[in-house]
Formats: sequence, structure tokens, C-alpha cells
Amino acid sequence: MTDVAIRGLSKSFGTNRVLKALDLTVPSRQFVTLLGPSGCGKTTLLRLIAGLEQPTEGEIRFGERRVDGLPPGERNIAMVFQSYALYPTMDVARNIGYGLEVRGTPKAERRERVGAVAKVLEILHLLGRKPRELSGGQRQRVALGRAMVRKPDIFLMDEPLSNLDAKLRAAMRGELRRFHLDLGTTTIYVTHDQLEAMTMSDLVVVMNEGVVQQIGTPEEVYARPANLFVAGFIGTPPMNLIPARNEGGRVTVEGHPLPVAAPAGAPAELILGIRPQDVSMATPGEPGTIPGKVWMVELIGSERLIEVEIAPKVRVTAEVRASHRAALDDAVAVRLDPAQIHLFDPASGQALPREAVREVGARPA
Amino acid sequence: MSRWAAALIYAVLGAVTFVVCFPLLWAISTSLKPKDEIFRWPPTLIPETITFESYRELLFGGAVASAPGAGVPPSAYFMDWFVNSVIVSVGSTAISITVATLAAYSLTRFRFRGQRAVPYVAILGYMIPSVIFVFPMFLTMVALDLPDTLLSLILGYVCITLPFCLWLMWAFFRGVPIEIEEAALVDGATRLQVFRQIVLPVALPGIIAASIFSLIVSWNDYLFGRVFMNSMDKLPLTVGVMHFFDGTHVDWGLMMASSVLMTLPMAILFGFMQRHLVAGFGAGAVKG
Repeated sequence: MTDVAIRGLSKSFGTNRVLKALDLTVPSRQFVTLLGPSGCGKTTLLRLIAGLEQPTEGEIRFGERRVDGLPPGERNIAMVFQSYALYPTMDVARNIGYGLEVRGTPKAERRERVGAVAKVLEILHLLGRKPRELSGGQRQRVALGRAMVRKPDIFLMDEPLSNLDAKLRAAMRGELRRFHLDLGTTTIYVTHDQLEAMTMSDLVVVMNEGVVQQIGTPEEVYARPANLFVAGFIGTPPMNLIPARNEGGRVTVEGHPLPVAAPAGAPAELILGIRPQDVSMATPGEPGTIPGKVWMVELIGSERLIEVEIAPKVRVTAEVRASHRAALDDAVAVRLDPAQIHLFDPASGQALPREAVREVGARPA
Repeated sequence: MSRWAAALIYAVLGAVTFVVCFPLLWAISTSLKPKDEIFRWPPTLIPETITFESYRELLFGGAVASAPGAGVPPSAYFMDWFVNSVIVSVGSTAISITVATLAAYSLTRFRFRGQRAVPYVAILGYMIPSVIFVFPMFLTMVALDLPDTLLSLILGYVCITLPFCLWLMWAFFRGVPIEIEEAALVDGATRLQVFRQIVLPVALPGIIAASIFSLIVSWNDYLFGRVFMNSMDKLPLTVGVMHFFDGTHVDWGLMMASSVLMTLPMAILFGFMQRHLVAGFGAGAVKG
């Protein structure tokens, strides 16, 4: 089993620097997701690992072996493309077995291994068909089969589920995870879909503008975002990020003191982050709450999102039970769960240490 | 659609088809008539007496010894001309297609300065009437000591067919998704294997289309053959058959039989290749 070590990796296309001195270690046998918005460099990073692009600087190692500079075929990797990239003129059996064919695997062994993979993926009956005769989900399985049959050291997957409909995507998420647990092959998976990242990964690498923002388990990146980008990117609905102040060690929002102490050495201006599910509705005037009026109400199935305007252009979204009634422009107040408050330095965007954000008495000090 | 409208459409289509097909039918009919029936009035579309005399003379005339002192009749050269035409069309097509395919592939796959301009410049070159550059080209052939050789004709035809073949293949390769090549590289194939086993089969319909175009252009050309070639036994068919017209007399039987024999290979080829033009193009390789 193989771990992947990336050191000081940079990639530029002309003057456009897509990856900036990136360091990353992918532990052996782990399912690691590269997550980020379009253009964050995640696909470029995957293509560099695959050998489909050459790095401008830096090195890539698979275990002890340095691989940057090796052609893709010599890295013993397998890749599943977003578009599946099946060979249109070959039937399914040859599509799956092509990697074995070019490596000179004897025909009998090839047939046996293709058959075994096809059986696992439940596509035995499709072996004689051409890619154009398959549905999206079937093509997806063929692409997976092609990756699995060679028993590679590392699986690379570039948004493999993005062309499937929502139902099939949910089913394939589970299957992919199951395959990974069974095979135990180190997997690097690119997606912009945080649901995929959260549900499938051992580790999530959040990227933006060619820089790794945070590496952690799905729980860590969700519960302890390292900076404003991760805080705003992970979680649906997104985390509330509102301006706050540090007034003599006490955190205030729009002049309303919160039952939270700012860490020692915190700047005067802060950004306060809190997830909508950690915001509850209160009656105006209650201590430790922030008054405002209802700006928008949205029903999302079993929950209701209430957006409360606490100052001009400053809104806080609360996720409450669908049975909670609120009308537009109602005078209300929101209570922020002090244990779930994140504080960020607006200048650097970095989170202040969570341990230092202390809960204090509700009354002003 | 009403029955009347349908009838009208069929009538118009029938008339157009008749106008288009009539010359060919007339040529076939004339080629099968004996010489005295060709000029009979009123003319007959279906020959009263069918004779293959003209075909026999063209196909086997070269073997028939002519009377001493009478000179060799032009029809004796027909098979030479036919073979010449096959050599120059197939030769020029092979060169054009090979160069166009490799060039178009590199134009779509490798990044270099002027990459986007090349196909447009090429197609512009194709738009210049060949009559403008046939004489400069002839002078070039003279300088190369090549006139009156089949090689000069092959090179000439490559010049007129290559730009369009390049354009066609370029447009075709642009539609071949690069991911299937990358997938093959990851699978462990070499660049050459990728080109041979993945790209070429996908590009086959484009190659066939370009080949048909190139074959038709070089097979039907008159201008280059007329200017470049001189010896009776080295002429292409198009120029050769003009010798059945000697200034005062036209041998219509031979002329029409030659026309039919000239059309036949292209018609057969097209009928055979047509299926491949539409078959199996890479639909379904990528996305849904």
C-alpha cells in the first residue's frame, strides 16, 4: 500500500499560477478528497499526481519512489475521469482490459480478471457492448472497472459522479465507499460537492486559489474551520459570518454584548461565525440576544430557515423546526449558542483558537 | 401534408433526379450502341442492338496489333491511362491523408505559436483557383527535372488536396475528446499506441471522408494532367480520352465507354465507403 507525499508543488500555465508551493501527505489506504470551488487547482493537482501535467516546481513521491517526471503509465495509478473517457470503438470487455493488454498480460488471464471485476460491478452482461450503448450509470461502472482491474497502487478520481442524476449519485457514493473499504487502495478523489467529501472521505483537503486551506477529517473541517474560507465553504446552509468587536475582552455584535470572552490578544475587529443550526429564536430584550427583524423565511423540508436582519445589510440565518412560525418584518431576537461560536481575525482570515473562546456570564461584565 | 402536396413534391424530385441522371444514362446508352445507331434520328435511349465493341477496344485494344504504318490508335493506351490515374490518385491521396492526419492531430493536441492560424491559412490556400498556380508549379517541376512523370502529378495533387484534407481532419480531431487519450496514457499505452489504437479508429470516418474527397479531386483533374504531362503513355485518363477527339471527328462510342469506365471505380468506392462514413463514430464515449 502506498502513501503519497507532495512537497513544494507549484504549477503555472503561462503567467497563471494555479498551484502555489503545495505540501500534502496522503496516508496509505486512506480515501482523501480534494474539495474546493471551480478553479481552485484541485483537478490540476490530481493531473499532476497522474502525470498528465508536469509540475513547474516541487516533487511527488509514491512511497519511497519519486514519480514526477515519470509518464502516467509508469506510475501504476488508475484514474476515473469526469467524462468516463471510455474508448468509443472498443467494447466494454476491451475497455476494461486495455490497460492489461498494453502491458502484455496473457489473453486468458486478461479475460479472467476482466470477468472478475465485471462480476463485482454487476456488468457481466454488458461486456460485449460499445460505450454508446450504455447508460450513464453503466458507463460509470465500466470506467470504475477499468480502474480496478489493474490493481493499481493509487486510485485517482476526478468528479466521477458529477454526470449522474441525484438518485444514482447517492447510490454510487455508497458503492464507491464500499469498494474502497474492500480494496483498501489509497484513493484521491476530486469534487466540488461537499456532501460527497463529507460522506466518503477519511480526510478532506479544502483548497482555494491553489493553496491548501485545511486538511482534516470531515468532522474537523466542519466543526473547526481553520479560516474564513473553510468556514464559509463547508456546511449547508453556510455558516453565518458577521462583523463583531472585542470590547475589553468581551465579544459584541452591533453593540450587543454576547456571553463570550474574546481570547487574549484578539484584535478589536473580529468576524464571528456560527452555523444556522446553532442560532435559536428569542424574544427581544432577553439578555445575551441580538434583536432584529425577520427578513426572509424559507422552508427546507423538516426545517425552516429564518433570516434576521440585525443591522442594515447584516443578517443572521437561524435553522429552526418547520413548525416555528415567523412572518416577514416581525420584531424578533436571535440567540447564538456560545459554545458554537467561531471567531476569526478579519485581517488574516485565520480562526482564533477555539479553546480560547470562553463562555462567560450573560450579563455585561 | 395533403396528397396533392406530396404528389407535387415527388414530381419535382423526380424531375430533378431525371435531369441529374440523364447524362449518365445517355453515356451508358451511347457506349453500348453500334456506331451507326449513335447518330440515328430520332435518337434511341435504349439501344436497339447492344454491342460491347467500344469496351472491348478500350480494355483489350492495347493487345491488338494495329496494321503496320497505321500508327497506334489512342484507344490502345486506355489501360495505361487507367493505371496512371489509379497510381496518381491513390499515391497523392496516401500522402495527403498521412500528412493531413498527423498535422491535424498535432494542431489539436500540442501547443505552439501560430497553432490556431495554420488551418485557416491552409483553407485560404485551398480557395485560390488552381489555374493560378499550375504554371508556377510546372516551372518548379521543370527545375526539379520532374515534368512528364507521374511523380509530378502526385505532388501537384497533394498541393491541391492537402489543405482541405488538413482542414477536415483538424475539424474532426477537435471533436475527439482528449480524455480518452489521457485514459489510455494512464492505462500504460505509449503515445504511438494511443494514436494507433485509440485515436485512429475514432478518426476513421474523418479519414475516409478526406480520402474520398482527395481521390475524387485527383481522379477528376484535367488541368494538371494537361499541363504537366506530355507522353501518350503517361497521361491520366481525363487528358487521355481527349485524344478520341481529333479535331474533325469524335469517336462518341469510345468517349462514352471511357466515361462510364472512369465513373465506375469512384461510384463503387463511394458506395462501399458510404457505410463507414456514418458507422461507429465516437458517440457515447464521453458523457451521456
